[in-house]
Amino acid sequence: MRDTPLPTPQANLVDLRQVVKTYRSSAGTFTALKGVDLRVESGAFVSIIGKSGSGKSTLINVITGIDRPTSGEVVIDGTAVQNLNEEQIAIWRGRSVGVIFQFFQLLPTLTCVENILLAMDYGGHYSRSERPQQAMNLLERVGMVDHAHRLPSSLSGGQQQCVAIARALANNPVLLTADEPTGNLDSKSTEMVFHLFETLADSGKTILMVTHDNELAERAQRTIRLVDGRIQDEFVNR
Amino acid sequence: MLKARWYKVINDLFGNKTRTLLIVLSMSVGLFALGIILSARTILSEGLAESFAAINPSSGTMRTAELFDENFLESVRSMEDVQDADARRQISARVQTTLGEWKNITIFVVADYDDIRVNKVSSQSGAWPPPEREILIERAALSVIDAQIGDVLLVRFPNDVERRVRIAGSAYDPAQLPAQLDGTPYGYITFDTLEWFGEPYGFNELHVLATNPKDKFWAQQVVNRVKDKTEKSGYTIPLSMTAEPGQLPMNDVLQGILLLMGLLGVLSLFLSIFLVINTVSALLTQQKRQIGVMKAVGGSTLQILGMYLVMVLAYGALALLIAIPLGVVGARELSSALAVFFNFDIYSTEIQSQTFIIQVAIGLILPVLASLIPFISSLRMSAAEAMSVYNTSKGRFGKNWIDQLISGANLWFMRNLSIRSILLSVRNTFRNKGRLTLTLITLTLGSATFISVFNVRASLSSTVEDMIKWFNCDVMLTLDRTYRADKVQHEAMNVPGVTQTDVWIQMPTRLVRSDDSESGMIYMFAPTIHAESLIVSPTIAEGRWLEPDDDNAAVVPSAFLQDEPELHLGGEMVLKIDGKERTFKIVGTYVGMAFLPLVYTNYEYITQVTNRVGEADALMVKMDRHDPAYVDVTTRALEDHFERMGVRVSMVSTINNERTEAEASFDAIVALLLVMAILLALVGGLGLMGTMSINVLERTREIGVLRAIGASNRSVALVFIREGIVIGLMSWLMGALVAIPMSQGLNQALGQAVMGVPLTYSYSMPGLWLWLVVVICLSVLASFIPARTASRLTVREVLAYE
Ligand SMILES: Nc1ncnc2c1ncn2[C@@H]1O[C@H](COP(=O)(O)OP(=O)(O)O)[C@@H](O)[C@H]1O
Ligand SMILES: [Mg+2]
Repeated sequence: MRDTPLPTPQANLVDLRQVVKTYRSSAGTFTALKGVDLRVESGAFVSIIGKSGSGKSTLINVITGIDRPTSGEVVIDGTAVQNLNEEQIAIWRGRSVGVIFQFFQLLPTLTCVENILLAMDYGGHYSRSERPQQAMNLLERVGMVDHAHRLPSSLSGGQQQCVAIARALANNPVLLTADEPTGNLDSKSTEMVFHLFETLADSGKTILMVTHDNELAERAQRTIRLVDGRIQDEFVNR
Repeated sequence: MLKARWYKVINDLFGNKTRTLLIVLSMSVGLFALGIILSARTILSEGLAESFAAINPSSGTMRTAELFDENFLESVRSMEDVQDADARRQISARVQTTLGEWKNITIFVVADYDDIRVNKVSSQSGAWPPPEREILIERAALSVIDAQIGDVLLVRFPNDVERRVRIAGSAYDPAQLPAQLDGTPYGYITFDTLEWFGEPYGFNELHVLATNPKDKFWAQQVVNRVKDKTEKSGYTIPLSMTAEPGQLPMNDVLQGILLLMGLLGVLSLFLSIFLVINTVSALLTQQKRQIGVMKAVGGSTLQILGMYLVMVLAYGALALLIAIPLGVVGARELSSALAVFFNFDIYSTEIQSQTFIIQVAIGLILPVLASLIPFISSLRMSAAEAMSVYNTSKGRFGKNWIDQLISGANLWFMRNLSIRSILLSVRNTFRNKGRLTLTLITLTLGSATFISVFNVRASLSSTVEDMIKWFNCDVMLTLDRTYRADKVQHEAMNVPGVTQTDVWIQMPTRLVRSDDSESGMIYMFAPTIHAESLIVSPTIAEGRWLEPDDDNAAVVPSAFLQDEPELHLGGEMVLKIDGKERTFKIVGTYVGMAFLPLVYTNYEYITQVTNRVGEADALMVKMDRHDPAYVDVTTRALEDHFERMGVRVSMVSTINNERTEAEASFDAIVALLLVMAILLALVGGLGLMGTMSINVLERTREIGVLRAIGASNRSVALVFIREGIVIGLMSWLMGALVAIPMSQGLNQALGQAVMGVPLTYSYSMPGLWLWLVVVICLSVLASFIPARTASRLTVREVLAYE
C-alpha cells in the first residue's frame, strides 16, 4: 500500500521528510513524532486517524507551522516552514493554510461575516473592495449567508463550524487542515460539516483532517493511521 | 496531597512572573499612596500646628497711618482680654536684585528681636539679631530676589534714601504669606539701621493676641476693641486683618492639597483591589479545568479555597514589602517639599505605627475579601462542569444595548468598510464592563485633573488680565502724600516717552450701618472720570460705571451687597471719610473682589468734599511704547525727575511687572497641582496597564486564533494597543467634561485662598489638546507591554490552554 505511485515532486503540496518532534518537560522528554515521511498531492482529501496520544494533533500542528519539528523538513507548497520565524509563519499561514479547530474559535465580538473579513484583512488575498462580496460568497458556499450579521454565540455548534470553515477559506488557501472538526458536534451537525468538507474536496481543495471516527475517515480519498508517532498504515479508500 | 497543593500555589505564584509582578506592583501603588498620604498628613498637620504654636500667633493685626510708640503698645498690652501684643514698623521699600532689577520689598523693624511676643520671628542662619546697617532676609524670600547670605543689596526707602546693606543672615517668619506666593520678599532690620536710612523711630503695625484665641468670635471682638481704642487715641487704621484661629496663612491651600492626595490614595487603592478581583477571576477561568480535576481527585472546596487565599495573601505580602518602606521615604520627602513650599518647619518625621497597621490590614484583608467574589461563583461548579467549559474566552459581549449598538448589524455604514480589526478593538473594549468602568473612572479623574490644572492656569491669566485691563496705562506711581495734580502731571509730561497721564486719589473709609456699627476698612478709589481717563471701567455686574457729572455716585463690588444686606443697587450708603459721615448713591456693582472691598467714586466729588481740590496721591502714566525694557527705563527717568522736583514716590508698579509677578506667584501652585495631576494620570495608566494585562490573559485563546488566521505580531499587538487608545480617548472625552465643574471648584478654592476672589473662569484649549496627546501616549505605553506579551504568544502555547 505504501507503493502508491509517487506523483511528480512539484505536485506534492505537503512534503514531510523524517519529521521528529520531541517534547521536553519537567517530567522528561517525550517523542511525539518519530520520523514521519508524508507526501500529499494537490487536491487530495486525506484523513488522519489514530489513538489518542498517537501524535495526530502534533502532526497537523507541524504542518501548519503552529508547532516546530525538532528535526526533519516540512515543505508546504514549496515553502520550507521550519526555516521561517514565528512572525513569518503567522503571515505565511494566513495566506496559505486554512486552519479549522475542534472548538470553532470564532472571535466572539465579531459577527460571522466580520470574522471572515478579518481573516481576509490579514491575508490580503482579495483586494479591499472585493472582500465584502467574497465573504458573502463564502458564507453562501457553507450555507450560512442568512446568519452573516449574527454573533457566533447565537449559532449552534454546527453552524459555527461551518462559519469557521468559511473563514479558513478566506484567502483561498492551498491547504485546509482540520483537527477533529466534528469532535464536539452531534451526529446531525457532524454530517452537515463533513458533507461540507466533501464538497470542498470535490471542488479541488487539498484537505488534511484528523478524526477518530473511522467511518468518516473512510469517506476521504486516503487515510493515514498513526501509531505511537509513526505512520503505521496508509490506505486509499477510493 | 498537602505537599502537592503547596507546590501548586508556589507554581502559580512564580510560574508567571510577569503576572505576579503586575499584580504586586498595582497593589503596591495603592498601598504606597495610602501610606504616603496617611503619614504625610500626620507629619504635615503636626508640623503646621507646632510651627504655628511656636510663633505665638496673633488674633489680629492692624496697621496705623501714624507712628505710635512703646507707651501706646503698653496701654494695649494692659487692656482687659488682651493676652499679649507686640509692635513693629513696616515699610514698603524697593530693592535692586543681584540681577539689577528693582522689586518691592517689605521691611520690618523690630525693637528687640529676642523678645518678640506675638508672631515670633526667629533666626534661620547667619547673624541674629540683624547687625547694624545689615539686613536679614526671610528664608523663603532669598530665592525671590536671587540672593544669598553675604550678598549686598541696594535698598531704596520711600524717602528716597538709598543704602547698600549686606544680607547678614536669614530669618524664619511663618506668619507671613510665603514670599514666592505673592512675589514680595521680607527683610528685617533694627531701629539703628532705620535711623541710618533717615527714618524716624516709631511703630505702625500692631499684633494683638486675645485671651482664648481659639474662639474666633471672641478673638474678633477683642481685636475690634483694640481697633476702637487705637482710633480713639487718634490713629487711623487703613488696614487690619483678623487671622483664622490656629492657622497659618496657607493652611487652606495645604488642606486642599492633602485632600486631593487623600483622593488619589483612595483611588489607587480602589484600583488595586479591582485588579485583585480581576486577576483572581481571570486565574480561575484559566484554571477551571485544574480546579475541576482537583475536585475530581477529592480536594474539598475548603482546601481549594485555602490554597487560593494563601496565594492572594502572598501577593499582598509582597506588595506590602515594597509599599511600606517606599511609603515611609515618600512621605518624608513629600512632607519636607511641601513644608519648604509653604514655609514652615517639620518637627518630627516619625511615622505612626497605626499607618503600618492600616496598610497591612488593607494589603492583606481587602484582597482576600475581594477574591472571595470570583471564588464563590466558580466553586459552585461541579467537577464535570469545570472540566467541560470549552468555549472561547468568557466575554459577555452581545447582551445589552451598547453591544447591540456597536455590533455590525446596526452599524450598516460599517458593513462595507475594511475596519474589522478596529471593530474588534472597539468591541473588546466593552466586553468586561465592570473592569472598563473602573479603569475609566481612574483615567477620567486623571484626565479631568490634568485639564483642570491647565484651566486654572488659564483662569489665573484671565483674572490677572481682567484686573489689569481696567488700567489703561504702563505704570502707576503711588505718592507719599497728596500733591497738586496739574503740577505732577505737567512734570511727568516733561519726561520723554510719556504721552498721557491721569491721577486719582485713594483713601480708607468705613461703612456706617443704620445701627451705627461700622464695617471693616474699605478702600475708596476715586479716579477721574472723563473721556481721556486712563482708568477703564471694571466689569460691571449690574447698573453702570461712573459718569463725569456724577457727584456722590459709587460703584461697589457685587459681593459687597451680599455681605451688607442693608445695601442695594440704587440705594444709599453712608461712608465715613476723614471722620465725617457722607452719603453715597450706589449706581452700579462690578464683578469680584471680596477680600479688599474697593469702592469707586468720582475724583471731582471726593476732592471737593475732602478739601483736596486739584490734588492727587497717585499718578498713572501712559508711554509711547509698552515693551517692558522701555517702560522700565522711562519709569526710572520719571522717578529721577520727580526726585529732583521734590515729589516723593512710595511705590511703583509697572503693568508688565504686575502681570508677570501675579502670574509667577501662581506658577508654583500650578506646578504643584500639575504634579498631582501627573500622579493621578500615572495611577490611571497603571490601572489601564493592569486591565490590558488581564485582557491579554483572558483572551490568550483568541490571540492564538488571530495568529492562526494570519495576524502578524504587529496586528496582534495593535488589537490591544487600539483598545487601550479607545479607553484613553473615552477618558479624555469624559475628563474634558468633568474638568468643567472641577476647574470651577479649583478656581473658587484657589482664588479664595490666595486672592479672595474666585478666578475668572477660562477653559484652556491648549491644555485639552495637550492632554489628548499625552493620554494617547499614555494609553499606548500602558497597553504596549501587555500587547507585546500577547504578540509573543505562539499558537502552540495558546492551544496548550485547551
Ligand atoms: N506540549 C507538550 N509537552 C509535552 N508533551 C506533549 C505536548 N503536546 C503533546 N504532548 C504529548 O505528545 C503526544 C501526542 O499528542 P497529540 O499529538 O496531541 O496526540 P493526539 O492528537 O493524537 O491525541 C501525547 O502523548 C501528548 O501527551
Ligand atoms: Mg489531538
